[in-house]
Amino acid sequence: MSKIHEESRRAFLMGTAVGAAGAAAGATIVAEAEAQTKTQARVGAAPAVAHGTGAGGHGAFLNDDDLATVAAYAERLMPGAPGKPGAKDAGVSNYIDLALAGAYADMGDMYRRGIAAIDAYCEAAFKDKFVYLKPAQQDEVVAAMEAGKATGFTWPSAQAFFNTLRAHTMEGMFSDPIYGGNKDFAGWRLVGFPGAQPTFTAADMLSNKPFTRVPTIGLQSRVKAPAPARRG
Amino acid sequence: MATQKTDVVIVGAGAVGGIMAAELGKAGIKVVALERGPRLQTKDFEPHDELRYFTRQDLRPNTKLHPVTWRPNKDTRATGMNSLNNGAQAGGGTVHYGAVSWRFHEDDFRVRSSTIERYGEKALPEDSSVVDWPLSYADLEPWYDRAEYELGVSGKAGNLQGRKIDGGNVFEAPRKREYPLPPLQMDQSGLVFEEASKKLGYHPFSTPRAILSQPYNDRPGCTYCGFCQAFGCHVGAKSSILVTKLPEADATKNFKLITGAVCHRVNTDNSGKATGVSYYGPDGSDNSVEADIVIMAPFIYDNVRLLMLSKTDKFPNGLANSSGHLGKHVMAHIGTRAFAVFDDRHINIFMGPSAQRHCVDDFNADNFDHKDLGFIRGAQVNVSPADLEAGPIGTAMRMEPPPGTPRWGAAYRDFFAKYFTRYAGLNAQTENLPYADQTIDLDPNVRDIYGMPAPRMTYDWRRPNERARVEFLGRKLEEIGRAMGAAKVWRPPTNQGQPGAHHQGGTRMGGDPKSSVVNKYSQSWDIPNLFIVGSSTFPTMSGFNPTLTIQAVAYMTADAIVKRYVKNPGVLLA
Repeated sequence: MSKIHEESRRAFLMGTAVGAAGAAAGATIVAEAEAQTKTQARVGAAPAVAHGTGAGGHGAFLNDDDLATVAAYAERLMPGAPGKPGAKDAGVSNYIDLALAGAYADMGDMYRRGIAAIDAYCEAAFKDKFVYLKPAQQDEVVAAMEAGKATGFTWPSAQAFFNTLRAHTMEGMFSDPIYGGNKDFAGWRLVGFPGAQPTFTAADMLSNKPFTRVPTIGLQSRVKAPAPARRG
Repeated sequence: MATQKTDVVIVGAGAVGGIMAAELGKAGIKVVALERGPRLQTKDFEPHDELRYFTRQDLRPNTKLHPVTWRPNKDTRATGMNSLNNGAQAGGGTVHYGAVSWRFHEDDFRVRSSTIERYGEKALPEDSSVVDWPLSYADLEPWYDRAEYELGVSGKAGNLQGRKIDGGNVFEAPRKREYPLPPLQMDQSGLVFEEASKKLGYHPFSTPRAILSQPYNDRPGCTYCGFCQAFGCHVGAKSSILVTKLPEADATKNFKLITGAVCHRVNTDNSGKATGVSYYGPDGSDNSVEADIVIMAPFIYDNVRLLMLSKTDKFPNGLANSSGHLGKHVMAHIGTRAFAVFDDRHINIFMGPSAQRHCVDDFNADNFDHKDLGFIRGAQVNVSPADLEAGPIGTAMRMEPPPGTPRWGAAYRDFFAKYFTRYAGLNAQTENLPYADQTIDLDPNVRDIYGMPAPRMTYDWRRPNERARVEFLGRKLEEIGRAMGAAKVWRPPTNQGQPGAHHQGGTRMGGDPKSSVVNKYSQSWDIPNLFIVGSSTFPTMSGFNPTLTIQAVAYMTADAIVKRYVKNPGVLLA
């Protein structure tokens, strides 16, 4: 374990875990990340990261390498586990890729520079690109960025890029599937959100139980209004 | 370039503009209103989509086109702010607001006198600029009543002509009659909040909101979909100006709305009279409207900015600014927050109108004894989602996890997965005293797409009086959270001085032309045919949301124009 590795690991634990409860929370992350590393080791040549895009695998904006980096990063922010869909399950990288080709077109340069800075930092700290690091190492990189301790970033700063990736990961997890993430309502299933319901009853409002009265509704699963009647 | 003539031109067709247009139009006065955004319809507000409307702020002013900047003090460079309460379409902010509709307390209109009477002059922070309003609650009561009944507000009276009624707000000022509509349906968060506050000896009640609890005036009742604040109502149950006063204005046949029209100047002549306004059309054309009366009714930023930009040789410091108070005494609510999470129940706070569902008024205004507390005034305390609406994106961004839980990774995922449906936010919407150095001026570095300097706020709420009040209220929120039976209660850190919600001030009203911009009828002391209406005129702000008071003031001003001003043009109303 390199010196920088050790320092960023400490920074991570100090930055996120304060007190006994915090130490436990930090330990959970590390334990799960290590478990994932072992899973990958077992399957041998499995790629570090799978694309979140469709079968073709081509992104709308990001090149393949950058898309893989974003997918891997998002998975560390919202990791999947059995019964708990994560960023990869939800297609977060696909959401981000489509957004950069559309609504967030003015953030393309921020992503290109930010990803390059992440990889430069990873090369210096771990002698490899982000996507090829073990999940536990990736977590250290994310933590160092969150704490503003990752070096070599200019614009965006490490913290600003972390905050952007976190915000966009949450959007990809929890926005309607028409935007390319939240695949099969993965994010909504994770937290128990029933989508854009047009109505809740008084009984729904007063209930202290999970809402299960009607299925989750997405923008394209709404009951469509009939076509407008023609005049005359 | 087009020029047209009318009796009255109104800049902004929102909370104020819609009311003025309808009331003046009904009196036979020809009105042209300029609106920078489009005029949407109820059918445009379906489907609901958190990403589009909340995260990407589709119904709010686009900050790339219309930037507003903020800096904490004059030694720093300002950076862009998100839009919040201001609007960018016909109906203005009322299209996407949470529709919370309060009458201010009696002492909200006389903070200076009531503080001195009870605690002595020393209780007022030395650097503050606290003054009484030039009007009283009694002046506004008939107009509050009119607004509640014409627009449609749901609630329960707590003080009917002096008789206190349990279940309503027992701290409210006396009202002549009950609300036109019963309170909205309570939800689980309200239920738990109500039980806890009662146990603590407080007086909980359903927050009055301009949302129909049952059909009213040919509009249907609320469906409790939860897509409320930041969204337009898909059934028209939110009593926005778009579905209430604008149709009324249309029906007068004296009203013309020009959309896509960005006012860039208020024109005045050498006699010191306003002659009309100039505006850019959607095609970039530079047009003007000539009018006998000019009514400024945009959000506070543009009230201040346009008066500054419209300076002339006769008015070298900007219009309506002989007092030198234009742009000063700006205030914003301070958001004091706590979170409560439950292991024994779901809360499902994504259901129902999002803003300030259930509340107590025990710690607002001067409703409690401030002796030895080290601060004056208070906050409106309520149960609310983490942000202004309650979808999972907004909640993930704004519900800071408790100390010890990270913001990402497996532990965060598990925290959020468990508690998204099992949390309640607690919020103390904290009054901000006016201070002369909390200001709006013209940003020298940032311009909007029309080349006009952006409005710039210089503001930092973190002063001793405000800090002490925030700490006091934060503890009250924790107390309520614990009494709710929460598994865990915590307070997220406060912000770095940024202005919260409901920006007010900048063109304060007063009784003396030397120390105020407008009189009690929102009329410029310097230019009697120029009316500047809205919360920019508020001398102090109250812990309550401002919109119903903005609307009551608009009704009162419209009435004074119709009944008195037009018969004697140029006179200062008194």
